[in-house]
Order: sequence, then structure tokens, then C-alpha cells
Amino acid sequence: MRFMVIVKASKDSEAGVMPSTELLTAMGKFNEEMVKAGIMEAGEGLHPSSKGARVKYPGGPATVSRGPFGLTNDLVAGFWLIKTKSLDEAIDWMKRAPFDGGAEIEIRQVFSAEDFGEALTPELREQEERLRAQAAKK
Amino acid sequence: MRFMMLMIPLGYETAPPDVKLDPERMRAMMKYNESLKDAGILITLDGLHPPSMGARVSFAAGKPVVTDGPFTESKEVLGGYWMIDVKSREEAIAWASKCPASENEIIEIRQVHEMSDFPEEIQQAAAGFTELQGNAARR
Repeated sequence: MRFMVIVKASKDSEAGVMPSTELLTAMGKFNEEMVKAGIMEAGEGLHPSSKGARVKYPGGPATVSRGPFGLTNDLVAGFWLIKTKSLDEAIDWMKRAPFDGGAEIEIRQVFSAEDFGEALTPELREQEERLRAQAAKK
Repeated sequence: MRFMMLMIPLGYETAPPDVKLDPERMRAMMKYNESLKDAGILITLDGLHPPSMGARVSFAAGKPVVTDGPFTESKEVLGGYWMIDVKSREEAIAWASKCPASENEIIEIRQVHEMSDFPEEIQQAAAGFTELQGNAARR
């Protein structure tokens, strides 16, 4: 099963404050453990929302608003993609992440082709597989 | 520059675990995905199961605390994302604007950090990370 681990934004991440060398070293070690265990697929950090934008679809032309967006518990600062046998295994891994001081992460299962059931017709499935294969080649 | 287009479907925060997807909408989205691929900008994309199937881990002082979904205080949750490679935020906005999204959906555009964004000292501390990511991606 694949999981997306969403790292929530904080005052620091939104202010563009870079993590300390100490934290980066601990994070590097944690990432290395996950890679060695064969569970880590990707991990990325995002620039603060001040450099971002939001697009809404009110019917008719889409509307755009620029960041920053208010710091809520729903704002994202980064993520990992990991592959484990269960949600519990994903939770066990993430409990070991070197966070403190009220940081929060959210663990969400990623859809696989099987989850879509009949909505994913054979034709759509073939299209989806082709798309992934070609995107991965980049 | 790499950007994430974060799909935020309002209402998904309370969706049941066995949420049903509409084939019509899926067809429209696949067509859009195909257009991103044809333009050579699509790096990857994924959809996420509802938060009612997920969990949160919070790291206050001491032991990590686990909370099972759904998360009652959430007003906005992710439904999925695209990672794209474009020349500017404006180009990312232009692509997001073409998405056949519904009235209840928002796409948030966020630039992804590259190692070169970090100061020299940090780059050295994180040496090997890009390599690690490369290894991870090949799995």
C-alpha cells in the first residue's frame, strides 16, 4: 500500500526559516533508514504559501488568488511518499520521525487502480498506465 | 521549476471510507492529465483516499500521539496532487486554470524546494539526499 505523509506548515515554514543543520542531519538519517528499509519513494519540501497561488472554479472562468494563505492546521509544508504493508506500519515508521514542538503529520492512503472498481474502465486503466509510464521517464 | 498542484475538494474532509467516484468526472480528469503529459510537464500524480481512512501523528513534547481520521477540525483536506515541471508560477496557474474542476474544488499551487535553494552549509549537511531520492525513485 502506498501512503502520502503530509507535513503540516508551521510559523517557521511559512516564514521561510530553514531547518537547523541539526534537524536536517536527523531528517537525513531518518530518510536513509526508510530508503534502506525499501519504503521511501519520495520526499519533498514546499516553498512558503507566499510564493503560491490558489485557483477556484466558480463556473465560468477560473479565479486566481495569490498567497500567502492564513496559517491553519490544513496548510501543507512538505510530504513523503512511502510504501508499507498497512496503515499501522506507516504510523509506526512516522512515530520515529525527528519532529517535536507540536509538529503534526497526516498519513493518507494513495489510490491504486484496484480501488477505483468499475469506474475505471479497461480503456481508462490502459490510459492511466501509459500516462504513468511516460511521466516516469522524464 | 517544479510545482505541486494540490487538489482540495471541499467536503472531502467528511467523505466515508468507501467514497464512490463518478466515471464521467474521471474521464474528464484523465483527458486533462493526458494534456499535461502531452505538454511534457507532468512528473507524477496521485489521488488520496478520504481522511476517514487516515491517521495523524502529532509531536508535542515527549511521545508522538496518534489520532485516527476523520479529523473533525479540518476544513480543507487534500484529495490528490499533480507534480509538474514548468518555467514559472504563472505557467503553473495557467495549467491549473484549465483543470475541469468542480465548484467545490480548489487547486493550490506551491513551488517545490530544490537542493540549490538552500544555503551552502545546509547543502553540505544534506549531502547525499538527492542521491537517496534518486535511489528511492528507482525502486
